[in-house]
Amino acid sequence: MPDLAELIDQGVRAYVTGRIQEALSAFQHALMLDPQNVKARGYLVRIQATHPGALSGPFHGRVPLPDVAEPPPPDLKPFDVSPPATEREAARAVPAGDGHPALHHEEDFAPSPWDEGPTTGATIVLSDEGSGAGIDLSAVSEKSDLRPLVPEGQAPALRGPPTDVDLWLKAAKELFALGDFTGSLELIEKILILDPDHGEARDYLRQNEATLVSMYESKLGPLQAVPRLAIKPEEVMWLNLDHRAGFLLAQIDGSVDYEGLFAVSGLPRLDTARILANLIADGVIRS
Amino acid sequence: MSELEPVIGIDLGTTNSVVATVRDGVPRVIPNRGGQLLTPSIVAVAKNGKRLVGALAKRQAITNAENTVFAAKRLIGRRWGSKEVEDARQFLPYELVAGPEGNDVRVQLGGRTVSIPEISAVVLAELKADAEAWFGRPVRKAVVTVPAYFNDGQRQSTKDAGRIAGLEVLRIINEPTSAALAYGFGKQMEKKVVVFDLGGGTFDISILDIGKSVYDVVGVGGDTYLGGEDFDRRIMDWLTFAFAKENGGVDLRQDKMALQRLKDASEKSKCDLSTAPNTAIHLPFLVSGGEGKGALHLDKQLTREKLEELTKDLVERCIAVADKTLRDAGLRAAQVGEVILVGGMTRMPRVARAVRDYFGREPSRGVHPDEVVALGAAIQAHALVAPQPKGEEVLLLDVTPQNLGLMVVGGYFNTVIPRNTTVPTSQTHLFTTVQDNQTSVRIAVLQGESEKAIENELLGEFILDGIRPARRGEVSIEVTFAISADGIVGVSARDVVTGAEQSITVTATSGLTEEELKRILDEQRDELLERKQTTREFEMRRDRAMALVREIDALRPAVEAALEKSRFGKDAIQKAETVIARVRQAIAARDAGAIEVEEEQLDRTLQLFRALAAGGPVPAGG
Repeated sequence: MPDLAELIDQGVRAYVTGRIQEALSAFQHALMLDPQNVKARGYLVRIQATHPGALSGPFHGRVPLPDVAEPPPPDLKPFDVSPPATEREAARAVPAGDGHPALHHEEDFAPSPWDEGPTTGATIVLSDEGSGAGIDLSAVSEKSDLRPLVPEGQAPALRGPPTDVDLWLKAAKELFALGDFTGSLELIEKILILDPDHGEARDYLRQNEATLVSMYESKLGPLQAVPRLAIKPEEVMWLNLDHRAGFLLAQIDGSVDYEGLFAVSGLPRLDTARILANLIADGVIRS
Repeated sequence: MSELEPVIGIDLGTTNSVVATVRDGVPRVIPNRGGQLLTPSIVAVAKNGKRLVGALAKRQAITNAENTVFAAKRLIGRRWGSKEVEDARQFLPYELVAGPEGNDVRVQLGGRTVSIPEISAVVLAELKADAEAWFGRPVRKAVVTVPAYFNDGQRQSTKDAGRIAGLEVLRIINEPTSAALAYGFGKQMEKKVVVFDLGGGTFDISILDIGKSVYDVVGVGGDTYLGGEDFDRRIMDWLTFAFAKENGGVDLRQDKMALQRLKDASEKSKCDLSTAPNTAIHLPFLVSGGEGKGALHLDKQLTREKLEELTKDLVERCIAVADKTLRDAGLRAAQVGEVILVGGMTRMPRVARAVRDYFGREPSRGVHPDEVVALGAAIQAHALVAPQPKGEEVLLLDVTPQNLGLMVVGGYFNTVIPRNTTVPTSQTHLFTTVQDNQTSVRIAVLQGESEKAIENELLGEFILDGIRPARRGEVSIEVTFAISADGIVGVSARDVVTGAEQSITVTATSGLTEEELKRILDEQRDELLERKQTTREFEMRRDRAMALVREIDALRPAVEAALEKSRFGKDAIQKAETVIARVRQAIAARDAGAIEVEEEQLDRTLQLFRALAAGGPVPAGG
């Protein structure tokens, strides 16, 4: 029987290629192995919303949304539906002042991880009530905080039946476009195991990592701040940590700032940032 | 008295370093910027490329072993290929390479080849910066201590390190002398004093003859591979085996992160047991429990009794070395008037007890063993810059740490000035030729303890020519060795009959050529300028950002009024506040880069505010 990671992988691949029943089955099996699995639950919620008839079996009915710090499940649409990135691009291209709604309301889009941290600029939230007098919406949108979602250039055209790498890359791009950088990164890493020199995968790896590092670091605050334990030392052992988090936590003694922790951790910056952000989110440490 | 320029005394240790000064007549240790009195003598380049010094470098010494340089003092001034360097290579995890001329030792650090004085300079510069932060003004002068057995090359290397760090090294003094100075300060003692120095990595024992402010080192001994880290290792081994036993054979030594925590905890527990009878070692989430299992915890109680049992032989080794040193000096334990304990390890009750039992007297406890050497150096530094009242001058009378002589036929070493000779001194010996009609001789000046020339340190060499041609053994060559109070060795050779003379001044070298030293000093200056530039850049950006903030604040009432009447930009105020908060945060963190990032946002906010306040259309950039 496939393990949890394999089931999730099968599910994601099936979902992005439009094989909803297969995806459903994989995610349901994944939940049998790990009932709290955020990713499986997220996808089931999505399937429930987009294909209400498809859901059956032990998870028929409402699947509660996960309440953990992991980014919300991606607002994935099956492969045969226009990808949201295209929607956004199209919306951005709509000229102002023509009487049409200029931009979709924010809620129409996939939740962006940027929403969770401080904004990087002074954004203007535009009303969807119609065009405003005197506002040059196209100019505003050009100056908006929206970042390019995928690298320039299209994926090479597939020749013959798609391979695992092709499918994973397609899925990774979808997830990236939808803001699920962790999910995208996982798939990219799988590709690079099979093909370490895959150029496009390397590009996505860098972008995913850079984005995730920024996201996690934004939760830490100034990197010169010195984090401290927010719980009693004797409560530490009741946490659910791995040994790497245990190592980092042991370094937090009120004398080392975040930059220092990045230096002494010996871990990749992304891992260190993720662990520290999780420790903050769980209330274990505070700046 | 007008305020003197601050001077410091530095105990540049193998494991830890300490900086001290004399303020208002009282010697005191200067805490580092982290609030600690001891700074680990460790330099590293972290995996993220950041240069680390001291405590931070120590925290990753195991997880990043190949780029963490510790115990540089074992290598300073050593010849590449010497026994000491070969011994060090056996246990040092970082890579050692020969210097460009094949003489000295270099280390590979962060992809660069770095000389040992440069490594020590990083530690000295850190201590200098700590002192400057404490004084609130620049510090330029220091006295630095070295072990009594350091030869001239090692002393010169230490001086070079000071120079690279931007310090004028007023004097290099012996550690035991410095310790005795701290004890003898203001006292009139005339006795033989043993300085028992058990530090982090080495054990040194010195015998001093002290008489009315005169400190005469009359004997030195020790073990360069015996120190606190050996005690830590015993605790680590004990914990490792106990853990494996309790957890199905899980070997903590295979996991660098676990090992790092284990080492830190072992050292801490050892220190705790100096004052408490037992201690708890608690390391949650220490190592992965394996596939699908949670991380494993280590929980153990260590008693002082157990620690003493684990380290019994180490303490016995110390006493054996002390006994040998005393016998070499022709002294009995009962003749020792005072025993001074130096080094953190002497705080271990079992060590102090063993010393007391051996010498038959309580060791002195007046000065903290971790601080005593630095305090003595600070006293000496103060004495050198501040005029002392007549009769109260602190006169340091050091001796040659090792035999000084030259190489003779057969590759043997002939001593001209024996070790423990008080400097300054001058001695003359006669030598002769070994071949008929020999017109020149090669004088190789050496320092060391071995009978074989090759096993000693080569300080310099020269050729004396113009010798009268004669049968071997008929020519008399007078060789004079002179050592100045500063430790500079002058050697001259003269043909007694012809008067032909040749001489050399052995200015001990650190292995760094003058050119290299100049380059390093230039780099230091550039770095300093860069830092100053960074400061200027920060100040410039801060001022510009604050000007924008002030302008935004000034427009705020008008913007609020305009927003009352508009359907747009309702959250403009909130967004502006967020940006301003981030700017203030960046300024507080002195982060010029972060301020630069926010400048554009501030600018946009200002444009937006101006437009809103003027009641016109919102600009495109808003």
